[in-house]
Amino acid sequence: MSGELGDTVNQAGQNDRVAHRDNVWTRVGRILDLILYKTYADLRAEAAKTYINFLWWIIDPLLGMLVFYLVFGLLFQRGGDGFVAFLLTGLVIWNWYRQSISHAGSAILNGKGLMNQVHVPKIVFPLVVLLTDLTKFVVVFVLLLIFLLLSGLWPGISYLALPLLAMVQLMLIASLSLALAGLVPYLPDLRFLADNLLQLQFFVTGIFFSVRDIPDQYQGWFYLNPMAGMIEDFRAVLLHHAWPHWERLGAVAVFSLLLLMLAVGWIHAHDRDYPRTLR
Amino acid sequence: MNTQDSLPLISLKNIGLAFRQGGLSLTPKPLFWVLKDISFDLYPGETLGVVGRNAAGKSTLMRLLAGIIRHDRGSLINRAKSIALLSLQAGFVPYLTGRQNAILSGLLLGLRRAEVEARMADIIDFSELGSFIDQPLSTYSAGMRARLGFSVAYQVEPDVLLIDETLGVGDEEFKEKSTAAMHARIQSDKTIVLVSHVPGTIRNLCNRAIWIEEGITRAQGDVVDVIQAYQAEIKRRHGAAYVLRSAET
Repeated sequence: MSGELGDTVNQAGQNDRVAHRDNVWTRVGRILDLILYKTYADLRAEAAKTYINFLWWIIDPLLGMLVFYLVFGLLFQRGGDGFVAFLLTGLVIWNWYRQSISHAGSAILNGKGLMNQVHVPKIVFPLVVLLTDLTKFVVVFVLLLIFLLLSGLWPGISYLALPLLAMVQLMLIASLSLALAGLVPYLPDLRFLADNLLQLQFFVTGIFFSVRDIPDQYQGWFYLNPMAGMIEDFRAVLLHHAWPHWERLGAVAVFSLLLLMLAVGWIHAHDRDYPRTLR
Repeated sequence: MNTQDSLPLISLKNIGLAFRQGGLSLTPKPLFWVLKDISFDLYPGETLGVVGRNAAGKSTLMRLLAGIIRHDRGSLINRAKSIALLSLQAGFVPYLTGRQNAILSGLLLGLRRAEVEARMADIIDFSELGSFIDQPLSTYSAGMRARLGFSVAYQVEPDVLLIDETLGVGDEEFKEKSTAAMHARIQSDKTIVLVSHVPGTIRNLCNRAIWIEEGITRAQGDVVDVIQAYQAEIKRRHGAAYVLRSAET
């Protein structure tokens, strides 16, 4: 892809000029073409590796959720009315979050071979991974909605908040993923730290318990974890026909947007430095 | 073809480029300067040859020109609309079909999706893959992959084409065909930078040459003069046998 993407070659010399080049929309169009086709190609390639192809997108999460149901629903007798719906809602959102971050986090690092062959805007690598994971999430989320319907939980007016809620969730995922992806090439060790932090976060997010199960004095701390509030909001909308907690949602949105801008700026600023670091 | 009266398309002045060593360390690790002091101009329509021994910084220079990496000091003025390194099989994925790989590779090389689709017939035709184009790449032989890789890369026509050693690829027959195609493109009015360790190739194809040694431009100008200076240096370092050997190839 070469010189036509990103600004010119310059860094050290200040007076360098650039004559005519493609306008910004042509460039954006080129990058979008690449992101969309690469996402499509990756999904096809992943499916082609297995025998039953796309069915794994459904079977894999179903098996994962079955494990949790067996452990927490049956073994620990945490059940009660609506526990399965409660657990599945939490798990579907959590799995989207965890998988996206852990996949996208090493996306730039994994692109080192390609980025040394051609100039690719480095943001492409994590965005492609986020899009493939988003596609798989949509499939699983539709399954979840079907399950809720079959369990007699009909959609209510609060479903109107779902697009907004999903958008904020996507922004949170994207901001953390891009921040991680931008730093990992310089500090590969961060991946292991991130995996362990995600593990810890899983246990404090309230996937298989609700905030009412923890002592009062810790409940304030509980919401410092943005995922705790997000999953509670998804449950409010899907299971209780209630609206999200708007202030908390707004705070997560603002935090995500700021981090997102910072991460995109960081990745862009290091665009021609990553291939030197990752040889 | 040598239009040196016009402004240079690319102009490098005292370019330096260093690689850092990764990992944690208490004391800052010293920078490794791959390019120390590179200066030259590239004029529209010319074919500039780059000679130099292994590890002289030729490939790093090409990656800098292609916009893959940036430099640390000096100035680089770029007036070209697009500069691209001839990258064969860039982004190829074994599980996808030849056609899907061709699109992906074309996009990575800077084409729009519609542009690649429009040239698909030419790609299939040049690669002589026929109906194999819709088979997964994992079923291809190395020769077939090389054919596809070359045919896609050949569709990309940047303002400035950078060629690092590869002129022809693939089996005997395709190598001849692809080499002829590359020669035709080089001899057209395209602006080309050609790296080669074979002085004969540079002498046959280039209008001007530069010689790089340990990250420094040691000579530039007339092809014959530059290659003579380069070979004199090799002779000084390695003795006459080496020169004879490299002159044969």
